[in-house]
Amino acid sequence: MPRPGFVLEVDERTPPLLVHSGESFRLQDFPLGSRVIYPPESLPGVPDVDEAIEQALLHPLDSEPLPSLLHAGMRLTIAFDDLSLPLPPMRKPDIRQRVIEHVLEHAARAGVDDVQIIAANALHRRMTPDELKAIVGERVFRSFFPDNLVNFDAEDRANLTHLGMTDENEDVEISKRAAESDLLVYVNVNLVAMDGGWKSTAIGLASYNSLRHHHNSHTMVHSRSFMDRHSSQLHSSAWRMGRVLNEHVKVFQIETTLNNDAFPSQYGFLTKREWEWSMRDQATFLGAKRGIDMMPAKARRKLFQSMEAPYLVTGISAGAVEPVHDATLERVHRQQLVDVDGQSDVLVLGLPYLCPYNVNSVMNPILAACLGLGYFFNMYVGQPLVRKGGAIILNHPVPWEFSTLHHPSYVDFFDEVLSVSTDPKVIEQKFEQQYATDPWYIHLYRTSYAYHGVHPFYMWYWCAHALDHVGDVIWVGGDRRAVARMGMRSASTFADALEMASDTVGRSPSITYLHSPPHVLARVNGSHP
Amino acid sequence: MSSSLVRDVKQVARGWRWTHRQLPPRSAEPHHVFPEAREFPTDWARSPVAVRAREAILRGGLTPLVRHETTLQVEGLDVLDDIDGPVIFVANHSSHLDTALLLTTLPPQWLRRVAVGAAADYFFDAWWRAVGSALVFATFPIERGGVGLSETPTRLLAQGWSLVMFPEGTRSPDGWTRRFRLGAAYLAARNNVPVVPVALSGSFAAMPRGRGWPKPGRPPVHVRYGRPVHGLPGEEPRAFGARIAGALGQLLDEDRTDWYAARRRAALEATPSPAGPEVARWRRVWESSAGPAPVRRRPRAWR
Repeated sequence: MPRPGFVLEVDERTPPLLVHSGESFRLQDFPLGSRVIYPPESLPGVPDVDEAIEQALLHPLDSEPLPSLLHAGMRLTIAFDDLSLPLPPMRKPDIRQRVIEHVLEHAARAGVDDVQIIAANALHRRMTPDELKAIVGERVFRSFFPDNLVNFDAEDRANLTHLGMTDENEDVEISKRAAESDLLVYVNVNLVAMDGGWKSTAIGLASYNSLRHHHNSHTMVHSRSFMDRHSSQLHSSAWRMGRVLNEHVKVFQIETTLNNDAFPSQYGFLTKREWEWSMRDQATFLGAKRGIDMMPAKARRKLFQSMEAPYLVTGISAGAVEPVHDATLERVHRQQLVDVDGQSDVLVLGLPYLCPYNVNSVMNPILAACLGLGYFFNMYVGQPLVRKGGAIILNHPVPWEFSTLHHPSYVDFFDEVLSVSTDPKVIEQKFEQQYATDPWYIHLYRTSYAYHGVHPFYMWYWCAHALDHVGDVIWVGGDRRAVARMGMRSASTFADALEMASDTVGRSPSITYLHSPPHVLARVNGSHP
Repeated sequence: MSSSLVRDVKQVARGWRWTHRQLPPRSAEPHHVFPEAREFPTDWARSPVAVRAREAILRGGLTPLVRHETTLQVEGLDVLDDIDGPVIFVANHSSHLDTALLLTTLPPQWLRRVAVGAAADYFFDAWWRAVGSALVFATFPIERGGVGLSETPTRLLAQGWSLVMFPEGTRSPDGWTRRFRLGAAYLAARNNVPVVPVALSGSFAAMPRGRGWPKPGRPPVHVRYGRPVHGLPGEEPRAFGARIAGALGQLLDEDRTDWYAARRRAALEATPSPAGPEVARWRRVWESSAGPAPVRRRPRAWR
């Protein structure tokens, strides 16, 4: 029986705690009395994944069974989450492959010829053929690539359809193929509570014209948090768009959830509670850390990026989008939710090597900020883990390093935009249009493997809620120039960071460390202790 | 690079208490799955090689040391002459000196076949302490947390090993005897072996809790072996335990006064309680700290 998550109070028996820091990790002593939020242990997977998929397809929620929606001569589109999910990538076979194969089995039996499979990458970079194959599997890849297994192109005007406006005057513009299909099947992997629901189709298959309505600084500041759909303006907007979408196309949503087995067994210490580390875990930690620190940067990156998570599937739901997503959230909460009493003065986060946008790539400073201030800060329901005006201490080296292949507009954003202002609202007004419509960035997005020109803005907007909420952001071990460019401060050690934060939170602050990954979602009750 | 490795190793060694038993943080205890307690293996410490090594250490090192640091008086060893089989030595306990006093005063043939029950949570919470105490003092672990006795003492008695047990469970904080637990009585009754009470006087005054070495000045310590106490047919461990405690009380009384006076008081059921007077703690400590009367020197014939 997996144990629930809980909040540890550091005492003299507590060993130093594992803290991720980019492509490395270290042990950190925390002051006595600090709170540490541990995720629940991994839930068991479903005993038979194929059987679970079949059951979901044949007994969907608020929908006819999938076979009855399929018939010869129809246009069937299958969309699926791109490589930004799950993190780390899942050990093969990927759950999307298994679900798509089941859907295609039914389609083949029904005699459906017109099938298009689209990676719902929105403004993310295109995936390479190998990356596509890794997700959908060899059979699907060989049957459909390249003509009918494609990346979504949000700048292909000829293949976009404007479906109308929401009741709040938001454009709904998505993939023409998806919008004009007789059935749109969406295959999702739900790693955190933010994923899934109408966010899958209304965002994953949308153009900039549609995305700009919710991917902006105002919406982000008022999404409290992204992980709480009912308190997230981002999700409210996506749900409004979804309703418009629903009037035009039949959507059959398939959502899958994973447990917390985020690291291979040889790195078991990364998911174990530290005081339960065996001698073997301690030796593995020492050996792994020493080995990683001694490796050349290139080899180290390769090692980390090649890591595949042995995730188990905890459940599969299919049918109408909203009831399916409710069932998904229930499972995600069961795996990740931890009750926490009150906020603290300081929130400590250890940022790992990977975020949704640097799979097989480099985590540049903007992505590091987005991971910490966008994703990790938002891992709450209720109220943030840190009080208004408190401090966030992030652990990451923040190297001044960019992939010019994947993140070309990030380079310019970092040099030209952040050097003028770090205020999300200011840079949105002043620079966003220019980057979003730049022909060179659009060309790279469409023909190379580059994120869209506007993508770094979105990453910065993800940070907007945290930047608006906290009084101080300090990076432990961060490159000073890179951190300063983002308008933040860098400290050499955790002790120095606390010393620096004392200007904001005093000399005896309450401290909370979110012990993640694996993912943990804090349901914060009460007030500042 | 090597210095950072050393730093990391030191951090892990300190954080995970390599020298001690790792304990979960208090707030994690409700969520902690305690591994099933495994008894530290001590059979090796009773192998012929270990026995010879222990005898060498005790006779060549510890005995001279104890005799150098204390003024030791041993009485009553003749009671062991009439006993063949294994026994359980039961002694009062107020100092880490007690085990050393017992082992260094036992005749060699007994020393070679004796094992000492020691608190698992204290003597066996770090591997180095467990190995050291098992080798030098022939200890085996006893759980004090109400877990119940393991099979080890029964097995040892069956194999002919005598046991040393301190039924108080821990060292007395004020030098006076605490309530006896029933483990020794239960074991003796179950295995039909006699109990030899051993009164230890002066060890609290010589080396109380908190001291790692006897006080200077060779303080007097007395070790007095008493006649074996046998269990009676059908006797409950509680009643047997009370008789053992009574025998030990008489021995302590004998040590403070003399054999005949102690016997007289025992006949009148007026043996002073070894638990000491019910007075303020400082007065109890004060009296215990005085130690037994020093050994009187033999009158010299020639001045």
